[in-house]
Amino acid sequence: MTLLNNLPPAFLLIIGALILVILPATARKVGAITLALFGFYAISQLSEESRFLPEFLGYDLTLLRVDSTSKVFGYIFTLSAFGALAFSWSERCRLQNTAALIYVGSALGVVFAGDMISWYLFWEMMAISSTFLILARNNERARLAAQRYILLHLAGGLVLLTGILLAIHETGSIDFTKENIHQNATAKNFILIGILINAAAVPFSSWLPDAYPESTVFGGIILSAYTTKTAVYTLVRGFPGEEILIPIGCIMAVYGIIYALLENDMRRILAYSIINQVGFMVCGVGIGTKLAIAGVVAHAFCGVIYKSLLWMSAGAVLYRTNKSKCTELGGLYKTMPITMVLGTIGALSISGVPLTSGFISKTLITAAADHQNYIWAWLALEVASAGVVLHAGIKFPFFVFFNVDRGLRPKEAPRPMIFGMSLMAFLSIYLGLNPSSLYSILPNNEILADQKNFYDIYIKHFDHVTTMLQMLIFSGLTFFLFLPMLRPTPTISIDFDWFYRKGAKIFYYCVDKAFNSINRAAEKLVIKTFLPALVQFIITAPVSITKILLRPIWQESLSADKSTLKKQEKDLTAKFSSGTFPVAYSAIFILIFIGLLIFLGSSSN
Amino acid sequence: MAIKKKATQKKAVTKKTKAKPSVSKEIIPDEDNPYISPSFWKAMWIISGISIILEFFIHRHKHFKELDASVLGNMSNWFGFYGMLGLIACSGSILIAKGLSVFLKAKEDFHDDTP
Repeated sequence: MTLLNNLPPAFLLIIGALILVILPATARKVGAITLALFGFYAISQLSEESRFLPEFLGYDLTLLRVDSTSKVFGYIFTLSAFGALAFSWSERCRLQNTAALIYVGSALGVVFAGDMISWYLFWEMMAISSTFLILARNNERARLAAQRYILLHLAGGLVLLTGILLAIHETGSIDFTKENIHQNATAKNFILIGILINAAAVPFSSWLPDAYPESTVFGGIILSAYTTKTAVYTLVRGFPGEEILIPIGCIMAVYGIIYALLENDMRRILAYSIINQVGFMVCGVGIGTKLAIAGVVAHAFCGVIYKSLLWMSAGAVLYRTNKSKCTELGGLYKTMPITMVLGTIGALSISGVPLTSGFISKTLITAAADHQNYIWAWLALEVASAGVVLHAGIKFPFFVFFNVDRGLRPKEAPRPMIFGMSLMAFLSIYLGLNPSSLYSILPNNEILADQKNFYDIYIKHFDHVTTMLQMLIFSGLTFFLFLPMLRPTPTISIDFDWFYRKGAKIFYYCVDKAFNSINRAAEKLVIKTFLPALVQFIITAPVSITKILLRPIWQESLSADKSTLKKQEKDLTAKFSSGTFPVAYSAIFILIFIGLLIFLGSSSN
Repeated sequence: MAIKKKATQKKAVTKKTKAKPSVSKEIIPDEDNPYISPSFWKAMWIISGISIILEFFIHRHKHFKELDASVLGNMSNWFGFYGMLGLIACSGSILIAKGLSVFLKAKEDFHDDTP
């Protein structure tokens, strides 16, 4: 098994996707699911000794940097791909299957990349392949959303590339390490901004709720897991302990709550809750202690599971009803009870209810803030934890499955969808009950040695369970107390995309006004004024010059008789306009020109 | 007398206008105002009460051990702090969102004329 021990999982999925694209639908679907499972197995076979070092532009690329951090991300990426592919068994779209596998493969490429060149190449491949998951919705809104999505990501990619090139220029090394990135402050800042754009950090956040809800049912589930989590992974690699990330993460967590409360579209609510959850992770990276980093990796792992579950349940509702607005949904528990139960498990997990995966991961980050005495960050994270209950915990399931009966009677979700959701719900509860199964594979897991099993988490620390429950229950109570204020409205929320959507229009208007007014002024000045004047000058100049030259001669010879002078001038003008001159004039001019030429020729020699 | 009549007529009119909304509410219920049963409310209050009472029987670990002087650090160790936090954080978030909705909520076709 030497080949499998040294095979980059990215190649497995990307090459596999390119082979599967030519196969018929059933073989393609079976192949895709098998690839995801095989990818999981291949990652489990990787060790720190695994090597794959191809040469590119004179540099040795490191496509396999294997340690506990990359393996945890690799596991969850392949596992969630398996769940999403199983969920979308009835999806026959060739484009989506291929794009999804290349996207997952590229995300694995970033996770195992040990150098900045392969990191960047896989990073851009992710952006391009994920765009097709939005385009696959095949309508005008999706096409425009995909256009905005790819433009923003390509801009972000260029910022990242600038940082990478500066870092390589400064250090001469392409190794993707914290030391290399931090050698040059400008390079570091460019790289950080490039990553934060993909992490959907405020104010670069609006691309996520703009694009993801416009994707297909399958696309939404896949998209929810990878781009932001690879960004978190790269932050863990390059920026642990970078203190600016603490306020950025806290702002993201709170921003996600406020916007999710304003939203009407169920998938947009979930999109904002991704930003909220990634905010916890970004803040954790900023804290940067061993516990915080373990917490970030654990939260990314659990986050992918319950986010996929939530997107799956929303996807099942969209698939059956073709509706995604809270103002058009409601009362679906009557005909989609299984989807409702599984979606609610996702909602409980994201809220961090004890016995679910959210509880065992989120608490590590808040505990890290507590231990490091980051009191304001701790408070912001606790406020955000309470806020999650409002939007993803209760708002999403309540307004979709309960609220008021709008007479919708869709069928229960198809079996493959229920299988995909059940898998994620099972994992969510399993991890909640057996935290050690996750803790044992985390980086810095030695600091979690006293959190071995169910007893350690839930009995020994029952005080923590009680306080957490107290906060969650009171948050839930507040939701129902304020229910009249939370009623969904058929509106959208204006986000930072206003700047580049309305801004683009304003920019176009300004550019139009500025450049076209210059154009008009130039036309007026050059075409309408200057050129006619020039033409007039060319026509009148010879006669005027000749008049000026001849006037002294005429004055001498004609004794300054004004009337005779005028006559002479008139005659001259007539001769110029008809082009008829006495031979003597022509001969004189020719002689003058020859004389000038000879003079100029001799003076230049 | 005429003035008195006018006054009584006015009163009757105001009574009628006041009565109108309540009548219309009964006839056409707001479809986005769901019915929450009294038993659900009772259950919510009981669970909330239990979560507070439970705190009497546990020994809470102290937060921010090194920040004794900090007001917030001390508050975080108060009895019922987490319940209070849930209540204040959530009601605050809702009120802020409601306030911001004046500026941030727009019609669904708001971006239709943009690229």
